[in-house]
Formats: sequence, structure tokens, C-alpha cells
Amino acid sequence: MHNHTPQPGQERFVAPAIDTELPTAVDVDTSHPPESQWKQAWKSLRSNWIFWFSAILLLLVLVVVCFPTLFTSVDPRSADLSNSLGKPQPGHIFGFDRQGYDVFARTIHGARASVIIGLLTTLIVTIVGLLTGAIAGFFGGWVDTIISRAADIFFAIPLLLAAIVGLSALNNVWPNRGYWGGVSAVVIALAVFGWPQITRIARGAVMEIKNLEFVDAARSLGASKWRNLFTHIIPNALPPVIVTATVSLGVYIVAEATLSFLGIGLPPSVVSWGNDIAAAQPQVRSGDNLHVLFFPAGALAMTVLSFMLLGDAVRDALDPKARK
Amino acid sequence: MWRYIVRRLLQTIPVILGATLLIYALVFLQPGDPIVALFGEKPVSEAARAQLEAQYNLDKPFIVQWLLFLKGALVGDFGTSYSGQPVSDLIARSLPVTFQLAFMAMIIEAILGVVAGFYAGLRRGHIFDSTMLVVSLVVIAIPIFVLGFALQLIFGVQLQWVPPTVGSATTFTNLLLPAVVLGLVSFAYVLRLTRTSVIENLTADHVRTARAHGVPDGVVNRRHVLRNSLIPVVTFLGADLGALMAGAVVTEGIFNINGIGNLAYQAILRGENPTVVSVVTIMVLIYVVASLLVDLLYAALDPRIRYA
Repeated sequence: MHNHTPQPGQERFVAPAIDTELPTAVDVDTSHPPESQWKQAWKSLRSNWIFWFSAILLLLVLVVVCFPTLFTSVDPRSADLSNSLGKPQPGHIFGFDRQGYDVFARTIHGARASVIIGLLTTLIVTIVGLLTGAIAGFFGGWVDTIISRAADIFFAIPLLLAAIVGLSALNNVWPNRGYWGGVSAVVIALAVFGWPQITRIARGAVMEIKNLEFVDAARSLGASKWRNLFTHIIPNALPPVIVTATVSLGVYIVAEATLSFLGIGLPPSVVSWGNDIAAAQPQVRSGDNLHVLFFPAGALAMTVLSFMLLGDAVRDALDPKARK
Repeated sequence: MWRYIVRRLLQTIPVILGATLLIYALVFLQPGDPIVALFGEKPVSEAARAQLEAQYNLDKPFIVQWLLFLKGALVGDFGTSYSGQPVSDLIARSLPVTFQLAFMAMIIEAILGVVAGFYAGLRRGHIFDSTMLVVSLVVIAIPIFVLGFALQLIFGVQLQWVPPTVGSATTFTNLLLPAVVLGLVSFAYVLRLTRTSVIENLTADHVRTARAHGVPDGVVNRRHVLRNSLIPVVTFLGADLGALMAGAVVTEGIFNINGIGNLAYQAILRGENPTVVSVVTIMVLIYVVASLLVDLLYAALDPRIRYA
């Protein structure tokens, strides 16, 4: 224990460095560089059971999307009317719908259209939104004005209504477009009106980051504007964008189902959860035959839920304040 | 403050012009002849065609059509639908219904969402918090038309507490279930948003200071935590009004309500282009006005924000 009386020449007692818990500069471990935010995020993600729960579910969905025949050998497009609205039974565990399609086979094969639309739309929206938002936030001035007003214009029309109008326009110029045509049309309609959401978030993040010290440091070391933008600013603006993108992936899957429910999304020939839910609706009016509606709707809800949970887990991992 | 309002109003002009032009192009630059569609199987005489084209401005270039539409819209004249009714009449008949529905949905989602989010945030990790998080995720994950349909089946068909469909009797009690369905998804977002910002504000310096001064917990939570947490919620609610109007397309379809969502949907299916552009223009206007109001509300909620 030290003597707490002030030493000569000292106004008041100052504890020697060795008594304080503050580490001195000498003690800082410099043998390896500090961990990147991605590595730290991964560490915190690894210990989160919600992440593993949603990741495993999504992995399962992905396998179903890529290899549906691993799970069922029944053709989702072969119907036998004598099975119409049959209850679940051995061999056909989800039963049959009104047309006599096997609901299990339809649910398995329906994953592909829904998930691909969600993934593709999110990919396009994220790339376009990130680039436009980063450029607007970084350069400011008239570039920012033009991009922001353009984003405002597309954002001002409600997404669902805009997608309906867009798809009905596409129906006229591009009728009978088959499976991939049908999928691309929905992706186009959703992406054209979906990008401003990401643009706004990316722009905000970039405007915050571009004035930080490490960007100044890079600039004073001679990094060009574009190099600074792509190697220093955009990577650091990614976390909020990734979180929004993960959550909106689920939103786009729901949007596809809603559009198909309204009869304007995917053509009826495409096996998809949205189409099956829409077709099931009239069969369940009286409260019977719930299995026709329950399984495609349940599969869709589980998938969307997994993306939402993944988004939550990623946000917690990427936000240092939320991390323990 | 006034300078800010003027600047903000000026900013909305290109948005309104751009959005209407965009939707106008999508609707009117399609192949297909609306006049042939109007006549169906019957042959169209030259005179009738010329007269109709003049009536609907179809003989003029696209940009002129759009400008004439804007000119009419400025004084509340949205032209005539292909079936011969003034579009303003159609809108005047359906807009109040949707307004009532969206207003009820917004009240429901705002009150329930803020209250549930506030208590969930205060008791982070407790059973109420976990339950609310799960409920909100499930509500977001299940498509609204499935949820709406399930509630219609339970309360309308099985329990018969409310009529399953509304039709023309748009009373408060009849619209209650559709309003709940319409507001459900946004309720989940409001809840999560409130919860997150309550958690953030609980550790803020001014909250700790207030507690250190001996202010009772309840007062601190209400006056310092809740009030600050409302700022992002208000932003969301403002932007959400537009989403609610669009969401009405689905909800009004399920419950058979003759609102603007149904009007828009039927018009799109039938190729009633004048009605489509008019309804979308109305929705854009509502969105723009709502976000303007939100920006002005900020100043009232957050004394740090002052507009120069």
C-alpha cells in the first residue's frame, strides 16, 4: 500500500502507474495486428445459437432448391383427379390438393422459384443500391442531388403497387414467358422499385465514414478518390447494408407470394409456394382441407423466418455496441 | 423554419413529377390499343375512333398526354375512365374508406407496437420480451394474405364475431378485423424498432444522469427513455402510410372492401389506364405529404433538431 500523502512538488496524490488497472503502452500486444471487424463479427456469430439455427435451416432450403429430387421422386406436375383434396397418408405425407397434385412434391419443388426470386432480387438491389448510395454519399453536390432525387422518385411509389403495374406492363410486352421468363419478370419488377432502400442506407453510412481519420490518412498517403472509395469506405459501409439486405430477402420472398396470390406474379404453370398458396385459398374457405394451405405457407414462413433471424444475428455480430 | 419548409416543399416537386411520369410511361407506353379493348368484338368505326382518341388525348404525343393529365390533376380533375365514369368520382367514393382503414390500422399498430416494444425493451431478455420477438418474427414471416385469411376464417366464419366480408357497410366494427390485418406487419416493425431504441436509450448518459438525480424510475422511463425512442418510430410511421395504402390492395381484396386498393387492382387488371395513373398519383402525394409532416414532427420530438 502506498502512502497517500502528496510528495514534495505535487499538489495531490497520484497513484503510480503500476497500481492502476490501465495497461501501459508497453504492455499492448503488438506481435499480431488487431483483428478485423469481420473476424470479430464471425467470432461473436459463432457463439450465437440463433445464427446456427437459421443457417442450418437455410442450408437445408438451399439443398432443396438445388436438388429437389433428393427429397421426392413424385412429379409436381402430374395430377390425378381421383386424389383431389386427399388427406395426408403414408407415401403422400402432405396429402393432395384440388387438382390431385402431391402437396409434398409441390412444396419441395416450389422452393426453387421463391428462393431464387428472393436471392436474385436482393443481389441486384444490393449491388445497385450500394454503388449509387456510395457514389452519392462520397461525391455529394449535384451527383448526390441527382441520385437522391431519382431514388426518391422510385421510393415514392409503394413497392407492391409499383410491382403490380410493372408486371402488368411486362405481361403485355412479354406474354407466355415460361419458367425462367416468369421468374425474371418478377425479379425485374421488384428490383426496379426496390433499390432506393439500399441506396439510402449506403449513402448515410458512406457520409458518416468518409470524414473519419483513417480515410484522411489514406488520402494523405496519396490514395486516389476511387481507391479510397472502394478499398476504405465501401467495405466499412457494408455492415448496415448487409443487415438490411438479409431482412429484405425475406420481404421479397413474401412479395413474390403476394404478387402470385394476386394472380399477376408467376404464371400458373410455375410451381411456387405463392402459386400454391393462392390456389389453396378457395379450398379452405369452410375450414376443411387445411393441409392444402398449411404446407406451402408453412414452408414459405419458415424460410422467411430463417432469413429474418439470420439478419438479426448478423446485425448483433456486426454492431460492436450489441456485442458482449 | 419557414425557409426549411419552403426548401423541403420545392424538393417534393421533382419527386411528384418524376413518379407520375414513371407510372404514366409504364401504363401508357405499352403495346395494345385501349380503344379496341373498349369495343371488344365489335368493329371500330373511324369516326368513333377519332372521337375517342380526342376524348382521351390518345392522339397527342405521350409527353403532352402526361402534361394534360398533370394540368387536370392540379384542379382535381383526373379525366374519365374508359368505362365512362369520372375518375375523380371513383376516387372520391373509395378513398375515404381506405383512409378510414389505414388510419385505424395505424392507430392499432402505433399504440400496440410502442407499448409492447417499450415494455419488451425495459425487460430485455425476459419472457415477455422473448414472446414479443417471436410474435413479431412470425407476423413478418407469414404472408399477410395467409394471416388475413386465417383470421377471417377464425373470427368471421367459425366464431362469427365479425362479418367475414365488409362490402359496402364500412362501419367501425366491420373494419376492425381488416384494420388489424393491415396493421399487423407494421405492428411487428414498430415493436422491434421501439424495443431496439429503448434498449439503446436505457444506457444513454442523460438517462443515467436523471436516475442519479433521484428521478423515479417510472418518470425516467416515460419522459427520457420513451420520448427519445419515439423519433425513429415516427419516421417509420410516416413512411408506412404509403405502404398501408398499397397493402390495402391485398387486405381489401380478402375482405371485399371497396377502397382505393381494390379500385387500383381492378383498374390494372382491366387496363383502365386513366384510373391506374390517378390512383398511383394520389398514393405518391399521400406518401410525399406524410414524409414532409414527419420531418416537421422531428423538431417537436427532438429539441436538438432545429431547422435553419
